[in-house]
Amino acid sequence: MEGSILESIGLEIIGVMSPVSICMLLVVLLVYSLSAPSSSAPIRTAANLVYLESPSDSATQKLEGALLNALVFVVFIALVTFLLVLLYYYNFTNFLKNYTRFSAFFVLGTMGGSIFLSLIQHFSIPIDSITCFVLLLNFTVVGVLSVFSGAVPIFLRQAYMVALGIIVAAWFTKLPEWTTWVLLVALAVYDLVAVLAPGGPLKILVELASSRDEELPALVYEARPTVSRNVGSGGSSLGLLVGGVSDSNSVELQDLSRNNQNRNQGSVENRECAAIEIENSRHHEVAIGSEEVETSPLVPNVQARLSSSSGSSEFSVVDTASDRNRQYGHVQSEIVVDEERFPLVERLGLDNEREPAGRDGFETSESTSRGFDRGNLRPVGAGDVGCGWYRLFFEISKLIQHYNSNGGCCGQLLLKYLNMLCGNIFSQLAGPQAHSDIKMGFNLWSDHCRIIVKHIGV
Amino acid sequence: MTVAAGIGYALLALGPSLSLFIAVISKKPFLILTVLSSTLVWLMSLIAISAVWRAFLPLKTTAWWPYGILILSSVVFQEGLRILFWRVYKRLEDVLDAFADRVSKPRLFLTDKMQIALAGGLGHGVAHAVFFCLSLLTPAFGPATYYVEKCSQIPFFLVSAVIALGFVTIHTFTMVIAFNGYAEKNIVDQLFAPIVHLVAGMLTLINLASGGCIVGIPLLYFMAALTLMHCGKMVQRRLTQNQSRQ
Repeated sequence: MEGSILESIGLEIIGVMSPVSICMLLVVLLVYSLSAPSSSAPIRTAANLVYLESPSDSATQKLEGALLNALVFVVFIALVTFLLVLLYYYNFTNFLKNYTRFSAFFVLGTMGGSIFLSLIQHFSIPIDSITCFVLLLNFTVVGVLSVFSGAVPIFLRQAYMVALGIIVAAWFTKLPEWTTWVLLVALAVYDLVAVLAPGGPLKILVELASSRDEELPALVYEARPTVSRNVGSGGSSLGLLVGGVSDSNSVELQDLSRNNQNRNQGSVENRECAAIEIENSRHHEVAIGSEEVETSPLVPNVQARLSSSSGSSEFSVVDTASDRNRQYGHVQSEIVVDEERFPLVERLGLDNEREPAGRDGFETSESTSRGFDRGNLRPVGAGDVGCGWYRLFFEISKLIQHYNSNGGCCGQLLLKYLNMLCGNIFSQLAGPQAHSDIKMGFNLWSDHCRIIVKHIGV
Repeated sequence: MTVAAGIGYALLALGPSLSLFIAVISKKPFLILTVLSSTLVWLMSLIAISAVWRAFLPLKTTAWWPYGILILSSVVFQEGLRILFWRVYKRLEDVLDAFADRVSKPRLFLTDKMQIALAGGLGHGVAHAVFFCLSLLTPAFGPATYYVEKCSQIPFFLVSAVIALGFVTIHTFTMVIAFNGYAEKNIVDQLFAPIVHLVAGMLTLINLASGGCIVGIPLLYFMAALTLMHCGKMVQRRLTQNQSRQ
């Protein structure tokens, strides 16, 4: 059953709202539990450069002083942001990235460290200074790594962004009261202007980054989903087939992600199912309908065909030969299946159905049977795995085919090597204890290779 | 009585709603938004009621009937708000269905609609629990506890947590019943929610009597159990009807 829209609406809003809410909740908890005595001497920070608020001033004095403070702070931030934009414009990106890492290190280390220390003091946690130092160092270094490296799981990165937010927010609560309120309003207004107004520095920065198609060299929270929502996903760069184990009733056609189409997409997000088309007698390209993986209409379809005629129902993987041709720009080599059919196909008695496809510049549809039992047409359920691998190598070999006619001996060598490699792998898999279906897949593969090899003339 | 007891009281009032949230609602972002908006609506209704009643409060009377009038008026107002909530939901349902057609996905299923109603009710219940129980719990995190003379067997915080749990249940599931009643034009279901709400509210007046909480709280839970059973039966009936129709 297809998922309802209820599962996907509002995803982005929640993706942004939840870290903000978590951050706010944790800051409130932190400040509430620490609740440091406010009678400590007010420290002079960037936010109260001009006016140091003390409780004994009158209201108007405090208001004026707070406004002045906020103005100075906002001007300061605006200047620094413009400097950032300038540096980015003149391609000092490396410097910016290193500065980002340094600032993350600094914030996590010093400000985070002081929060840790006050926590330890407040709750009298028995921990010695060396352990504390090591822990803080680990925390800081992992934070810096997660910010700039792409290999860190996104969840960790998001957690560190939230931690940075918590630390800076907790620092801001140390400011005197009036200054805090006025600064809040001033910063909100400045942010609106900086991001939305045409001359705003942040807007310029974002536009520059998107025009150069790079990532911003800044501490950005990415609200990506942290867990892949695909069942059984394992996106690799080739978009490997996920050969699923299916029960004997549902012949699931698992993902056939074509290498050429999905080369840039590592995820298994767009799975396409090879539609099952019997057709191979036409000379024009047959498009593959891409269907959802769990489409059950496909199953009765298949089984109806299975039962209809004993010999005629077979599953052919029909290439979008058009795609290949378009991409590679030539149509010279193709695999002719007419004379040399698959041994399996022959056994299924499909001779009369095939027409010879001429050698005139397009590929005929390849027909591969999907792991059928040789005698009868019972679809082999767990043979998907073997046939999945088989199909993968099949695709690879076709790729090499194309390159071969351009690349000459290179492709042939590669194909030979691949044949050897797969032969090795599959001979282990096809050993006496291997599953019969994997063996069958291997046999199909080797049949196919023989055909290829014969036609290349290697 | 220490942090552990404080957390314990909080979880007593809000534990089931937390598990409901994690199990059902957190999976679908739209439901989270529904919970938040219904919480907001309930709080706004409280603000409105208290704005009206501010002139008369605090009630310097030992008789019980002024409190009765207070509860009656509040319940009537909130039930009126429930009808408004339903109207807004109907419009939202149309918007969602149109969106579903546009992106060629199936329209809202029956379970989806019931989940939205559940989320709405949960928002109301959580708001009640936070407002009437959690806000009072702050002293419970300290080293001592507090007993009320009219209900001296158990600490005050425990009483308020238990009452809050009853009301959370009632709010959550009466919303499901009410939405179903409005959808099916079923008079029984439509009237069930206001009546149960009113009765439950009035039952808390029993706690004003000395030793009354021994009687009042079990009766409140009887109402909550009644709500649960009715909701369960209704949901089962609807689902089997739907199933047989398909």
